[in-house]
Amino acid sequence: MANDTSTFVVISPWGKRLLTAFFVVFLLVLYLPTVLLVVFSFNDGTVAAFPLEGLTTKYYGLAFSSKEIRESLGASAWVGLGAATIATVIALMASYPLARRNVRGKAFISALMLVPLVVPTVVLAVALLLLFQKGPGQVGLGLTRIMVAHVVIAIPFAVLILLPRIASIDRRLEEAAYDLGATGLQTFRLVMLPLIVPSIISAFLISFVFSIDEVVIASFLSSDQVTYPVYLYSGLKVPEKTQTLIPVATIMIVISFVLAFGAEAIRRYGDRRLVGK
Amino acid sequence: MCRLPSGAPGIRMATIVEAPIPPKQKRSRRERRNDGGSALSTYGLLAPMLILLSTLFLLPMYYIVLFSIALKRFSPTDALASLNGELNSLSAELWAKLLSVNVTVMLPGLNFNVPVLLVGIIFLVLLVAAVTASRIPEYGNWIVGIAFVLLLTPFMTLPAGNNLLRLVELTSDGDYLRLFFKSVSMAMTSSVIAVVIAIPVAYFLAFCVGKSKYTWLLIVIAPFLTSYLLRIFAWKVILGDQGLINSGLIAIGLVDEASPLSFLIYSQFTVIVVLTYAWVPFICLPIFLAFETIDRRLLEAAMDLGATRLQAFLKISLPIIAPGIVAAFLFVFIPSIGEYITPSLVGGTQGTMYGQSLASQFVGGAFNWQFGSVMALFLLGVVLLITFATARFLRAGGGGL
Repeated sequence: MANDTSTFVVISPWGKRLLTAFFVVFLLVLYLPTVLLVVFSFNDGTVAAFPLEGLTTKYYGLAFSSKEIRESLGASAWVGLGAATIATVIALMASYPLARRNVRGKAFISALMLVPLVVPTVVLAVALLLLFQKGPGQVGLGLTRIMVAHVVIAIPFAVLILLPRIASIDRRLEEAAYDLGATGLQTFRLVMLPLIVPSIISAFLISFVFSIDEVVIASFLSSDQVTYPVYLYSGLKVPEKTQTLIPVATIMIVISFVLAFGAEAIRRYGDRRLVGK
Repeated sequence: MCRLPSGAPGIRMATIVEAPIPPKQKRSRRERRNDGGSALSTYGLLAPMLILLSTLFLLPMYYIVLFSIALKRFSPTDALASLNGELNSLSAELWAKLLSVNVTVMLPGLNFNVPVLLVGIIFLVLLVAAVTASRIPEYGNWIVGIAFVLLLTPFMTLPAGNNLLRLVELTSDGDYLRLFFKSVSMAMTSSVIAVVIAIPVAYFLAFCVGKSKYTWLLIVIAPFLTSYLLRIFAWKVILGDQGLINSGLIAIGLVDEASPLSFLIYSQFTVIVVLTYAWVPFICLPIFLAFETIDRRLLEAAMDLGATRLQAFLKISLPIIAPGIVAAFLFVFIPSIGEYITPSLVGGTQGTMYGQSLASQFVGGAFNWQFGSVMALFLLGVVLLITFATARFLRAGGGGL
């Protein structure tokens, strides 16, 4: 960018010191809750309160021997993987024509796709509950209902990642492939796909991270089988139960961090490769 | 959208002219793929998404409308329906229950009642003015500014300890509308605080950390991607009666063990703090991107011409980042109005929000699905109205998402 060549210093030295101090305090407060959770996961007490009562790892053992926790984690993994896969595939299919072709009613389709992002989750949850309970075909499958509901919200995220990437790929690459006799599917598989794989992975990860943390829709639509966030939500309301919830929570936080940084690293790798460095 | 470089069509034409036999079929296929595509494959690819969104988004919305005007009932028999207070013909009765109430405007030393309809019209006019008046020459920006201030002040609170300080307050004799106003003011307060915190952070990232800024940006945003529930829960450990702050204050003797600072947990204050905390990392991104679009040479030129740093910020940076700031505000505000999880975990009875009351119509004690549908549609209407009115800002701020 042109403005990067300017050596002009935007901020006065004192301003910079003040901002740095502000930023440090901001980061400390930002990460304080996470650090506290990790500390409390080793706390040898029955409730998560000060003062700490010595170190122990027994709650990690307790957490993983709990059948409820294992089942809810399994349910979450199933819902998350399913929702992320479906959302990524559907979003990929939809992004291609939206990026490349003159689609009639494009404005309407884009609006329809993005509106679920701004609809309050609680409204979407009750609307889906109405549909499933009182609609034409009454669907009884708890986890599948949650999965398809998550797909609705994950699609806009996936499209917002995939569409700009597909649009940014030089059309002449595809034209060359067609001129050399490739079919549409071959062109997609051999030319397009390798270029957008990082975005596909990133869209999948974002959808997955969203799904395994979603609690409002999942709690409205779940029946006897609950996902992990729903289990956590009901458990957090009972102070005696919380201490056994924190260890798994800590592990989940670590996994989320790894996934977040991983998705970003993959996206940057894709950017670099597209530029050709 | 990607466009061909301007020279490309010329190159293509030349190829076609030079070729001994114009590869007509191939060319038409290529043209078709680029410009129209076959309708079958285009809509075939879009079909799964359109079908999914129709059945799982539009259809549920249609159902909720049917329920809100009582065209559909959910009890199997008439007797049960009348027992549950359900209606089975077109009726606006439930809407009247929500909306035919008085709104009271409370100014310091002065209260007066206003009909709901008038309040709605006033807010609509202010919203339109805030969004469109910048096109009016000369005084346009003043009108925008005044409209924004008038929209924000009735809902801005200063969370000071047990008491929330307000300059103006909107309340209502209708329980649900009062709760709605309270939710709006909690959401708006936390949005404004979040923006005020995020601006210096984004400024620091954009101008003070040099090449590593994207890594720092990721470090700032990462907590947003971790479990929302756990971050709320961690605040219980910080703010609770035996939490970090209270036990710290007790340890240094500032607070008596028998009477910890109770406003810290289960209050409106807690909900505002937690909502702000939850959203700040996320909105650093749009504000950072807005700062990134500023050409530093403009600032340099301004200061060469004798402007102070403050003047340069106010006259150059601020107008450029304004849409990003409005977008950031909306990114917090829109999801916070209907918030349901946060107040139910840390809000207690004092910090109840509209979303909880709405949820309790479906799964909780109140249990009236049809009135719940009315509440849901009202919330949805307000949110969509704000979204469409401010779509310009959302696009400006959402460019990097």
